[in-house]
This record gives sequence, structure tokens and C-alpha cells, in this order.
Amino acid sequence: MKKISVKEFYELKKKDLSLSLITHPNTMQGNITTSFLNRPGLALTGYFDRFDYNRIQIFGETEISYLQSLEEEMLYNNIKETLVYDIPAIIITKGLSVPKQIEFLANEMMIPIFSSRLSTDKLFNSLRIYLQSVFAESKTIHGTLMDVFGVGILLTGKSGIGKSECALELVERGQRLITDDVVKITSKDDILVGCATNNYGHFMEVRGIGLIDVAKMFGIQAVRMKKRIDVQIELMPWKDNMDYERIGLSDHSVDILGNKIPIIYLPISPGKNIAVIIEVVAMNHISKLFGYDAAKEYTNKLQEELTRKAKMREKQIKEKK
Amino acid sequence: MVRKTIRIVNKLGMHARPATMIVKAATKYRSEFRIIKSDMEINGKSIMGVMTLAAEFGSELELVADGVDEKFLIQEIIEMFLNKFGEE
Repeated sequence: MKKISVKEFYELKKKDLSLSLITHPNTMQGNITTSFLNRPGLALTGYFDRFDYNRIQIFGETEISYLQSLEEEMLYNNIKETLVYDIPAIIITKGLSVPKQIEFLANEMMIPIFSSRLSTDKLFNSLRIYLQSVFAESKTIHGTLMDVFGVGILLTGKSGIGKSECALELVERGQRLITDDVVKITSKDDILVGCATNNYGHFMEVRGIGLIDVAKMFGIQAVRMKKRIDVQIELMPWKDNMDYERIGLSDHSVDILGNKIPIIYLPISPGKNIAVIIEVVAMNHISKLFGYDAAKEYTNKLQEELTRKAKMREKQIKEKK
Repeated sequence: MVRKTIRIVNKLGMHARPATMIVKAATKYRSEFRIIKSDMEINGKSIMGVMTLAAEFGSELELVADGVDEKFLIQEIIEMFLNKFGEE
């Protein structure tokens, strides 16, 4: 399971979230293990049945004003009961002041308390966005990622089938390369984003030549850092009896990290200009986004004609009788 | 060369789905395959061709296969027509 240590989190985000540590530095020992946040609310009143203690706890004005309203003894007991749980960190928003007992108990029980100057809402948003990127699911796959007319096209297929060569031709036609050979895919908010696994630059291996630097060779406009993945195209050698899509009415999709994206199985054979076909795939995808589906349009017209002609035939037969 | 005349018996006529079925079946064979409807003659292995016929319910088609496996090709295609392409 992914995790980030509280210390690392503090070092990275203290500026963005304007955090300062209230408790002793030694209290920063735990790890954050989830992207979710929690407002402790009811836990502070003594209801622990559904207390998500493993999340970062956010104390806003509601929590602080409730705690301030408590008698000293009750405040002490309630806080003690809450801090018994293995809480990774507590963040107080709006720079609110914390009752002294809480600070004392947190130091005792080794739970770090941060104070943030941000409002609860702002903190929640920024923190969620950051934690989601930390905990986003990702995987690397063998393929090439291209931006074709703004459509993110993931090219896959057996090695040696010509993904890199195809990418080169697309680049020469003005399309942009994100990464060749290994694509790191991250799933975030139902969107798949692909990028390179390293930051060496946009290198590519071309069989028979070796490594080339696409950005140096074709210019900076030929590359980009990351791209949302919209369509996967699987290149495969042409087989005579393979069941290729002929009309385009049935959509095939593939599951990547729980997100479904359309997949196209593209047979390749010598003499076929795959780069042009890939551009066509991208344009067809855009067309569909705009609500125009060529396959549906054509087949609807055919259907209308068939119905009209069948009716005419029926009429003729009746007249003859 | 084998020639067979057949009437379309499924109500919807030869729309996209049956056309795809025919083309996919025909491309499995090595023989040439043509479909003739009145003055139109098309290649039965081309999806656009078959759809261009716009063959409606009740219309008549002539199937022509030519090659080593012509008989099997025609037989499979005829069966599809008779089964109404799995439709009404």
C-alpha cells in the first residue's frame, strides 16, 4: 500500500498549505496512508463507532468552538479518548488557537498538530488534490503515447510491430510524442493520464539506427510531457481470418485501472500508411464527441431506404392483385 | 462458377448487420464472390458494395461464386439468407 510519512508531507506542503507545527517535532513519526480526510465532529463528543482515525483529522471552527464550550475535565477526557487512536496528523484551520490541554495531550501521545492559515474549505480542497495525486493508482505498460489532434492515442502491440516508426511518422506529420516504449498511466478522477517514467527527455529507439532524441531532431513542438489517454490502438499483424471491425457500429473497450476507454484493433500489412489511419481514428473520435457518428449516419440512411423500398414493393403487389 | 438466385426473406432487408455477416463469411473463402441485383453488380467481399445494393425485403439477388471453394461459399451464404440472418 502507498504511504507518505508525515515528516515528508510537512516538508513538501508547509508552504502551499501554510502549515506550522504546534507540537514537538518528535511527534511527526507516523505515515499518511489514505487520500481521504476526516472532520472528527462526533468523535469529539465521544461517539467512536465510525471514527476514521487513519485519516488526517481537520479541526475547523465547528470543532474548536465545541471544544472551547466544554468544561475543563470533560474536554480533557474527550480529547484523551480521541487521541488514543493512531491518528496520523491533526490540522487546525484558519490559524485558530488550540486549547492548551490538547497540545499537551498530543505531545504526550505523539500525535502531530499543525496549524494552517487557510480556511477549512480551501485546505480541504488543496489537501485532497495533493493527496489524490500521491495516492492515485498507476501502472506502467509497454506502448507509445501520442497526442494526435489533441486526442491521446495509446499505441500498443508486440515489440517490433512498428510502434516507434509509426510514432515517428506521426511526429513528422505534426503530431506530438509524449513517450515511447514505456508509458506510466495514472488514474485520477476517472481520467487516465500518461507520461514517461523518467525525465531524461523524449528519446526513442528506432530499429537499425539506435537511440534518437525526438525533441532535438523535430523541435520542441513535437513533444509534450503528459496527456490524457482517450483511445487505445492495438497494432497487430494482418491475419486472413481475423474478425476485424468493418462498419464501426460496435464499440470495443478496454479496462485500464478501472477506467474504460475505446480500443481499436488495427491490422497492419506492408504498404499501409498507419500514421494516416491513426489520424483518422483521432478525427473520428472527435467527431463522435461532437455527436456525429459516420457509421450510424450511413446505416440509418440505408435502413430508411430499405423500409421505403419494401413498402413500395408491397404496394405494387397489392395493385397487381 | 456457381450461380444461385435468392429472395430476401427477413423483414428489415439487407441492412448493416446482415451485410457484415455476408462479407465476413465470404472473405473466409478464396473464391471470388459477386452479388447482382437487377443492373447492379458488386463484389460480395466489400462491405460498402453489399450495402450499396440496398436490397429490401422481398427483392431478388443473384449470387455468383467462382473459384476452388465456390460451392462451400455459396452454401454458407444461402444458409444465412434462409435463416433470415437470425432475424424475423
